[in-house]
Amino acid sequence: MWNLAKKILLHDRVKFAVASAGVSISVMLVLVQIGLYAGFMQTASTLIDHGHADLWVTRQASENFDFTAPLDDRTYYRVASTPGVARAERMILAFAQLKLDSGGDLGVQVVGVEPDAQLMGPWHVVAGDGRRVGEPGAITVDRSEYAKLHIDRVGHRTEINGARAEVVAMTDGIRSFTTSPLVFTDLTSARTFTGYPAEAENYVLVRVAAGADPIAVRDALRAIPHVDAYTTSEMSARTRTYWSSRTGVGAGFFTTAILGIIVGLVVCGQILYNGTLQHLREYGTLKAMGAKNGQVVRVILYQALIAAVVGLVFGGALAFLMRAAMKGANLIVALSPGLFVATAIVTVVMCALASMLSIIKVLRLDPATVFKV
Amino acid sequence: MEPLAQLRRVSKTYGTGEHAVAALVDADLSIHPGEVMLIEGPSGSGKTTLISILGLLLRPTDGEIIIGGRDAAKLGERDLPGLRASHFGFVFQGFNLFPALSAVENVALAIRMKDPRAKDPTGRAHALLDQVGLSARAHHLPSDLSGGQKQRVAIARALAGDPPILVGDEPTAALDTKTALGVMELLRGLATDHGRAVVVVTHDPRLERFADRVVRVEDGKIESNLHRKHMPLAS
Repeated sequence: MWNLAKKILLHDRVKFAVASAGVSISVMLVLVQIGLYAGFMQTASTLIDHGHADLWVTRQASENFDFTAPLDDRTYYRVASTPGVARAERMILAFAQLKLDSGGDLGVQVVGVEPDAQLMGPWHVVAGDGRRVGEPGAITVDRSEYAKLHIDRVGHRTEINGARAEVVAMTDGIRSFTTSPLVFTDLTSARTFTGYPAEAENYVLVRVAAGADPIAVRDALRAIPHVDAYTTSEMSARTRTYWSSRTGVGAGFFTTAILGIIVGLVVCGQILYNGTLQHLREYGTLKAMGAKNGQVVRVILYQALIAAVVGLVFGGALAFLMRAAMKGANLIVALSPGLFVATAIVTVVMCALASMLSIIKVLRLDPATVFKV
Repeated sequence: MEPLAQLRRVSKTYGTGEHAVAALVDADLSIHPGEVMLIEGPSGSGKTTLISILGLLLRPTDGEIIIGGRDAAKLGERDLPGLRASHFGFVFQGFNLFPALSAVENVALAIRMKDPRAKDPTGRAHALLDQVGLSARAHHLPSDLSGGQKQRVAIARALAGDPPILVGDEPTAALDTKTALGVMELLRGLATDHGRAVVVVTHDPRLERFADRVVRVEDGKIESNLHRKHMPLAS
C-alpha cells in the first residue's frame, strides 16, 4: 500500500511538488509564527526567568511587569523581616531617555539593582566587567542594542536623563519586550536616571530561607498592606499572559498560524482529491475485485502521510532559514523540540483531514460504476 | 456439471412508481466451468446490468444468485467483497490500470488487495504475466504498453486470487481487430486449459467463434441463449 501511495503521488511530480510546497509553507508558517510568539513570550519574562529570586513582591494589583507603581522602603524592610525570608533585594524597573551621539534621545528601560545584588543582574557578560555596575553611573548594555544606541565599545560615555553614564560591560542576548533597550545599573544610579524618589523601588526580590515553604512565605508576604507576592513561575506566567492576552499579540500570531494551517489544508486537500478523482476507475476496479474499503482508504491516508512528512522536512528547513534571517532583525524565533512535535502532530492531522473528501469519495464509490465507460 | 454460478428469475428495476424502469426481467443464466459465454445486445438492453448482478456488483430487485450453493442475493454487504474476490475477476474496456505502477506492480497489487497475507505477490504476479504472454514487459508502465498489452495485464490482474469466473465488459472494444482476436484467444485458452468460465459482454459478432454460448439480451430480457452450434440450451 505504501508503494502504491508513494508511486501515485510521485507519478505526477508537478502536482506532488505543489502539494509539498503547500504543506511546507503551512509548516513553516506555523513554526515561525508560534516560534516568534514563543520568542516574544520568552523576551517578555526574560528578567524574571534569568533572576535568582524565589519570590517577587510588587505593588498590589499591578498588572504589567514593565509598568508598575512604586513601593517604598518601609515595605522593603517589612518584606526583609518576614519569617522565612533569607534575603530581600530592591529592584527598580523604569523608563528613561538615553542621549545618542547624534544629539537625539532614545527610550531605555533601566534595571536598577542592589550594589551587591545576588538575585538580579546582567547575565551573559561578554565584554567589560559586570561587577562594576555598582559604580556611580555605570551601566551594562546588550550587544544587540549597540547600533540602536550608537554605542561602539565598552567605555562609551553618554547621558541618561542628563546624568552621566558609562558602559562598563556588554552582554549578549538580553532583549527587552518593550523594544526599549534594557540598561542595568545600580539602585542609586537608577533613581538618578529615572527620577525615582530616594526611598522608592518597584520590586522586592526574595530568596526564601532553606527549609522554608515558598508558598507559605508568599502568603505571609501577601499579608503586608498594598502588596502582592508571587513565586517566580507565577510572575513569569502573569507577565506572559498579560502581553499575550491583553495586547492581542497572541491572537495575532495564532491567527497567522491558523491561516497557515488552512492554506496547507486547502492545497493538500485539493491535490489529494484531484488525484483520487484521476484514479477513481482504478480504485473502483480494486473494490470490484474484492478490495475492502479500509484497504483503499489506507492508500489515500498513506498519500496524506507522505505529503505531511515531506512538508515537515522542507517546512522545518524553511523555518530554520527564517530564524536565521530574523536573527539579523533582532527577532527571536524559538524553535523548540516540543514545538516541532506539536507541529508534526498538527500537520499529520491537517493532511489526514485534507484527505477526508477523497476518502468519502472512495467510500461512496460504487464498484459497479467501473462497468460504465 | 455443476454450474459455477446461476441466476434464477433475476430482475432489476431502477426507480419506483411511474418512474420505474425495468433494466432486467426474470433472467435465468447458468455459468459452467470451461465455458466462454458472450452476452450481446444493443445499447441499453441490460447487458451491463446482467453482468453487474452476476459479478455481485449490483443487487437484484428480485431473484436468486446461486454461488457455491448459497444465494448471494441474500448476503449482507460485508460478505459480498469476499465472495466477489474469491469467485470473480474483471476485465474492462478501459483497462483501469494504475498508470504509476508497472505491469507486475498492478497485478501484485490486486493479489495483495484480494489477500493481504498472500506470500510472494510479486512472484505470483510474474507467473500470471507469463501466463498471458507478457513476462517480457513486466516492468513497463501502462503508458509504455500497447492496447493489447494493457488488456493482457488487465487479464493477468483479473486472474489474481485464481477466480473461477472472469467477467469482461467489452474487453476488446478499444482494440484493433488483430489485437482483439488475440485477447479473445487468450480468454478462450484460459477457459479451455484452466477450466475457468469466461463471460464477455460485446457488440462484436466476430468474437462469436470463440464462444461456447451466445446470450442475446433485448429490452431487459434474455431473448436467446444459444450454443455455438445454434443448439438451444435450457438455462
